[in-house]
Amino acid sequence: MLNLKDVHVHIGKLHILQGVNLQVKPGECAALLGRNGVGKTTTLRAIMGLARRSGGTVEFEGFDLASCEPHEIPRRGVGYVPQGRGIFPNLTVLENLCIGLPGRRDLEREEYVFGCFPRLEERLKQSGGTLSGGEQQMLALARCLMMRPKLIILDEPTEGIMPRLVSQIRREIHRINQAGVSILLVEQNVETALKLCPRVFLMEKGAIVYNGTAHELKSKPEIVRRYLGLSKQ
Amino acid sequence: MEKLFLLAMNGLIWGLIIALIALGLAIIFGLLDIINLAHGDFFMVGTVLAWATLQSTGSFWLAFIVAPFIGFILGALIQQVVIQPIRNTAMLSIVATFGLSLILQESVRITYGPTPGRILPPIQSTIHLFGVDYEVYRLFAAVVAILALGGFFLFLQHTKLGTWMRAVRHDREIAVAMGIPAGRVYILTFAIGFALAALGGVVAAPITTVDFRGGVDILPFCFMAVIIGGLGNLPGTAAAAVLLAFVEGVIQSVTDPTVARIASLVLMSAVLLLRPQGLFKGLTR
Ligand SMILES: Nc1ncnc2c1ncn2[C@@H]1O[C@H](COP(=O)(O)OP(=O)(O)OP(=O)(O)O)[C@@H](O)[C@H]1O
Ligand SMILES: [Mg+2]
Repeated sequence: MLNLKDVHVHIGKLHILQGVNLQVKPGECAALLGRNGVGKTTTLRAIMGLARRSGGTVEFEGFDLASCEPHEIPRRGVGYVPQGRGIFPNLTVLENLCIGLPGRRDLEREEYVFGCFPRLEERLKQSGGTLSGGEQQMLALARCLMMRPKLIILDEPTEGIMPRLVSQIRREIHRINQAGVSILLVEQNVETALKLCPRVFLMEKGAIVYNGTAHELKSKPEIVRRYLGLSKQ
Repeated sequence: MEKLFLLAMNGLIWGLIIALIALGLAIIFGLLDIINLAHGDFFMVGTVLAWATLQSTGSFWLAFIVAPFIGFILGALIQQVVIQPIRNTAMLSIVATFGLSLILQESVRITYGPTPGRILPPIQSTIHLFGVDYEVYRLFAAVVAILALGGFFLFLQHTKLGTWMRAVRHDREIAVAMGIPAGRVYILTFAIGFALAALGGVVAAPITTVDFRGGVDILPFCFMAVIIGGLGNLPGTAAAAVLLAFVEGVIQSVTDPTVARIASLVLMSAVLLLRPQGLFKGLTR
């Protein structure tokens, strides 16, 4: 479904991604793990066409994403939940939700999304900036669901969110995946990632250094320790 | 007393027209990070287009449609030819738009001519207000400006493109990742900015002169409105334009225009010292 082959990204003189190879199969839930600053966010930005690639290809359903404009990528079925949530604080919750839709609203889809996140429905007219961190994260996820994505890529969706909401967000991600949407999840929290995602990629200095199942990884604590350092166990 | 009323009213109405022009300047700055030194000339082009429409069709009223339309097209072209190549470079934008300003002025000087002209108000009658015979056209100009301002804010709050403009202003990259064609939003923003200034030019044409340097005085006034209103605060910009022109009008009733201009510069400095975030920051989202 999603296929990254030898993706390179340079920012200025820095060689940030040094040949990333990564595949997500239809319906799969994959995690991308790695220490701070190894290039996880840059990998996702390269998928979304936001970071210019200096080499390699990104294919989605057999289609080379480089051949379309970055703003067309979401319409092809790739949803993005950016690190730090990236909601628009100056827009209302409803405007945030409908921002990427071709028409003004999609009531049928809204019903589904509010089923997942009932808190949002109570706050439609409120501006995005007045939501709590956890609610903003739900909004970011809901906004991406509105576009009926086939694949969602999430960048640290539970970063800096209170534990009670973390488990709700985790549960929703699982449910979305169960409904047939593929997931690529970037996480710092190894425990969350291994619980949610059967497939795991480990990243180090701009390249994938390990690719295996969560089950395998659990039996190899030395790898986890080596590439993720002192991450919470 | 009559003089005070007259100049205060003139100032108020002039302020409403300036508000239209300053709004264009503010959205171009807010979205594209472009300090547009040619913005006064967009206004001037509007006055010339009003004159040209009157000459060629005999109807001034037609200019209310023709000038903003041509302004819109010119804005869309200029964005792609001049602004797009230097995107996100504030320093270059100053040089490029200064060049653009000269090109617009010289083009008008060659075609329209170097001598300032006048357009007679299409409504000649006056109305008796507070002991003064006040020109009805000026009242009409105020109504047009208020309608255009209101229309612009409705557009910004209630249309898809308006929402996109607000989203791109906040974060271009995330807007793109949500499927917003940011490049097209930039073109349309610049085009709307030009169209607003051109409309301001048409409205103002019968109460000022049609002159290839007609934008030169307008530009600093618009910048003052943008700064006093709080950078990026559009309702604040409009309110500041009206306030500034009104204050200048009132001061002009007791001294000469130069002193009035100095007074508004002092006002701006005071605002920047006491409320560097702008007079109206925090009152709107
Ligand atoms: N715009 C930029 N300019 C310069 N360096 C950058 C830029 N964006 C990213 N980098 C560098 O690229 C490297 C990878 O960054 P990236 O954000 O992809 O890391 P990450 O794995 O997502 O980290 P984190 O877990 O902290 O979010 C970092 O060393 C970072 O400093
Ligand atoms: Mg990151």
